[in-house]
Amino acid sequence: MDSIEAVRLLRERLSDEPVVASLGTPAFLLYSAGDRPLNFYMWAAMGMASSVGLGLAIAQPSRRVVVLDGDGAALMNLGGMVTVGWRAPPNLVWMVLENGVFLETGGQPIATSERADLVAIARGAGLLNVASADNPADLGALLDHALAEPGPSLVVARVGPDASRDLPPLDPVRLKHRFMEELSRTGHGHESSP
Amino acid sequence: MASPNADGIPQTSWWEIVYESLKAHEVRLVAHVPDQVLAPLVREIEADPFFEVVRLTREEEGVGVLSGGYLGGLRGALLMQSSGLGNCFNALGGLPLAYQIPFLIVISQRGRLGEFNPSQVPMGRATPRLLEAIGIETVSLEHQAELAEQVDQAARTCFATSGPVALIISTLLSGGKRG
Repeated sequence: MDSIEAVRLLRERLSDEPVVASLGTPAFLLYSAGDRPLNFYMWAAMGMASSVGLGLAIAQPSRRVVVLDGDGAALMNLGGMVTVGWRAPPNLVWMVLENGVFLETGGQPIATSERADLVAIARGAGLLNVASADNPADLGALLDHALAEPGPSLVVARVGPDASRDLPPLDPVRLKHRFMEELSRTGHGHESSP
Repeated sequence: MASPNADGIPQTSWWEIVYESLKAHEVRLVAHVPDQVLAPLVREIEADPFFEVVRLTREEEGVGVLSGGYLGGLRGALLMQSSGLGNCFNALGGLPLAYQIPFLIVISQRGRLGEFNPSQVPMGRATPRLLEAIGIETVSLEHQAELAEQVDQAARTCFATSGPVALIISTLLSGGKRG
């Protein structure tokens, strides 16, 4: 399946869920699938999208928090995957676009193109609802399940190396303000206060 | 928990002052990697339901966790040893500095006065200059008398000016790690 199709399947399921998108391909695809203030596009700090999602999920316990990651970025922060599994935020949904390459730097192969198995790694790290899909029907079902069931969930979308050159605004501070204002406008503060 | 000093006068320990200041400034999300000097502060924080705690696998993740926490409405602090700061720099540049996201960074100092391990020296000595190079306001905590004021002002600066501020716990203050 094309990666833009996989991201559209996520996009059409979103209402008030914030999405943290890893830099490069995931951020560009998310923007291409339809911009919204609750999309937080990263422009650097490769690997950190899942950690940002963990902090956001702790701060916003009453709504789902989605991380849109790439397989290269997920491999770059495997330690963070163990942390997510251990802290186990039930409201975190982590979607990984697996194309087996570093697309933005010229399509160089990465470990997932041969031996590394993200599903096995994520299960070993303690994540829940871990599964992969290589077609839209299966991916839609996996996303429905992950968005409804307690997590932290991890869904791998096996996709082709199609890219997007739709760039989100190159203004990090504006992206931050827009995101925080929309989070605040749509309710749900931190609610685990004693 | 006040312990007597040399004159027998009860003295609040450095970590109690930091703990109280974090609470006073509504810093509720704490991410950390274990460290011997920071251990009593972390124990107190983990025992207090006021705090949400994330035990990190590697320090860089903490930069992401606290950035996400702040976006979601929680102020945070990253607690680690100076060696772990080296694992954080790309994330510091790409998240809190680029997006203007504030959190406190509490660093237990290695490699300076009293160090027993030569391998800790290069990173420990470079710590303040590395922070300065990337543009993070840094305060060295050395003396008990001014500690409460320093931590309070650091927290105010951090959250008022939307940038991370680092607090370096000097071995002069903590006694450091014994070999």
